[in-house]
Amino acid sequence: MKRFFVMLFAALSLMASDATLEIVKSADNRPHIAVEDSSIFGNETTRIKLFKLLIGDLKVTAHFKVDDTRRFAGYNTLVDPMLKSNDYVLRYRFKEADRQQLYMDVKLFKMPSSRPVYERSYKVANRARYPFLIHQAVIDLNDFLGMPSVAWMRRYVVFSEYVAPRRADILIADYTLTYRKRLVSGGLNIFPKWADGAQKGIYYTRLGNRPVLYYYNIYTGKRRRVLSSDGMLVCSDVSRDGSRLLLTMAPGGQPDIYEYNLRTGVKQRVTFYGGIDVSAQYLENERQIVFVSDRLGFPNIFSGTIGRRGVRQLVFHGRNNNACSAHGHYVVYSSRETDNAFGRNTFNLYLISTRSDYIRRLTASGVNQFPKFSRDGETVMYLKHFAGESALGIIRLDYNEGYLFPLKGKRIQSIDW
Amino acid sequence: MKKNIFILAVAAALLATGCSQKEPEVDMTQQNGANAAAGSANGAASSVDGGLDTIQGSVESSNLTSEEAKMAKIHEIEATAKKIYFDFDKYNIRPDQQANVDEDAELFMSPEAKDLTVKIEGNCDEWGTDEYNYALGLKRAKTVRDALALKGIPESRMVMVSYGESNPVCTEHTQECWAKNRRVEFKLLP
Repeated sequence: MKRFFVMLFAALSLMASDATLEIVKSADNRPHIAVEDSSIFGNETTRIKLFKLLIGDLKVTAHFKVDDTRRFAGYNTLVDPMLKSNDYVLRYRFKEADRQQLYMDVKLFKMPSSRPVYERSYKVANRARYPFLIHQAVIDLNDFLGMPSVAWMRRYVVFSEYVAPRRADILIADYTLTYRKRLVSGGLNIFPKWADGAQKGIYYTRLGNRPVLYYYNIYTGKRRRVLSSDGMLVCSDVSRDGSRLLLTMAPGGQPDIYEYNLRTGVKQRVTFYGGIDVSAQYLENERQIVFVSDRLGFPNIFSGTIGRRGVRQLVFHGRNNNACSAHGHYVVYSSRETDNAFGRNTFNLYLISTRSDYIRRLTASGVNQFPKFSRDGETVMYLKHFAGESALGIIRLDYNEGYLFPLKGKRIQSIDW
Repeated sequence: MKKNIFILAVAAALLATGCSQKEPEVDMTQQNGANAAAGSANGAASSVDGGLDTIQGSVESSNLTSEEAKMAKIHEIEATAKKIYFDFDKYNIRPDQQANVDEDAELFMSPEAKDLTVKIEGNCDEWGTDEYNYALGLKRAKTVRDALALKGIPESRMVMVSYGESNPVCTEHTQECWAKNRRVEFKLLP
């Protein structure tokens, strides 16, 4: 009997740590938080934008039950007694200063006592950078309340965007893609990939008559040529220590996966298939990879081991599973559910583990593509197109929560987080 | 001397009276041509060298450099080359496209093109994403290269590139449009 309980406990612990298992019912005891706007910057449209981003950030943490009613109060006035049913009231104020500077003050009141328990001020040198004010304020507030860190909100996203036929620029952005800064332009610059955990540089492909892979230091603006290959050359993943790259190269027009050691300059061919093998990502110990291949006549997700010929099919549904992202032993991929070559198709995101047979569907409708894990593996970013609208989606895997930020702008070619 | 001065004076007088009294002659054909040329900015281009086509002769020349003339010839051959279209998600040559491949092979082996490098550009529709679409475009280019090689064009004369979904010829979200974008086309390099 004792052994039975031990086994039951072990099984439950295992399930609890498996992100592919969806939490369908849980007691929601997250703190309730209401928000008050005391801003003295910008017009109403601007203030609504600021408010929406703050609410979005708070919701994305998944650590609060956020009341998204927009309320107003003087920054130094008493809290409205009507808000006493909340656990906290967050009051904030944006104010401008000389030379494009923008300040954000935040104050947290513990309810029902209405006692201020926390106050901070932040500033940016250019008001276009306002999303970073909000992200940092939410990261710090979250830390102050002892919640699991959401420091990933501070990380940059790098992406390539089509600006004209055969022309694409590379930009960095905050995680909501609200703030953007152009890094590389002129020509077809595609497939940007962070080169290191500290986000000092990127790899990207410049496609002229022959594709060339460059390293670009985002702080110095200097680039250096890494490699070139016939037909196709893409950096699909970078090892954790930054010393090895998984590449798709196509000498002779045949796209296969290679591993390139930056220290030794040695290239090792990893896949040997006459069709298409692309998008390799390191798994677990970085000796295994997951990749996209058309071995079955349509794109699907497979895994393999560097240095060995055999491959393993990981996904057994869908008609076109052509993009994936890996973290540890988890893989998130995009799957076309419908087989309509000419009409509206549904692409959903799924999460699987290489250690179990469970599949968790992460989205329910629309065209959901470009899934990318955050560096800590707890969050998935993706692009959603639905009913003529585009959005950047964030899924908090451990909390079964999702949030969409409206997205405007040109078509995105590739994205990395 | 006096006689010469007299002749010049008479000629000048005739010229002056001619200019002041005679109605100016208008070349209607030229004016129409000018109007057509102006109109062409808003519509289809008008041909201005129709007459030259009917004149018998051999080699034509002007003060264009030989390089410019060569590039013009290259563009002319490129425009003649047939595009090869593909099915959704596929990179095999469809039976209905084989005749186009045959025509292209013949064109690239013609005396005017045989010294040029053939750049084979693979393209995709908007449905694919990320790396797979670029690989699909490249496989389309490779299939066409292999087919051209079978027809006798040396592989060393051909280079391939994939533009994935980055180079659409049609940007509407319709099936006709997507079908037009799933293509291989050619550029010729000196």
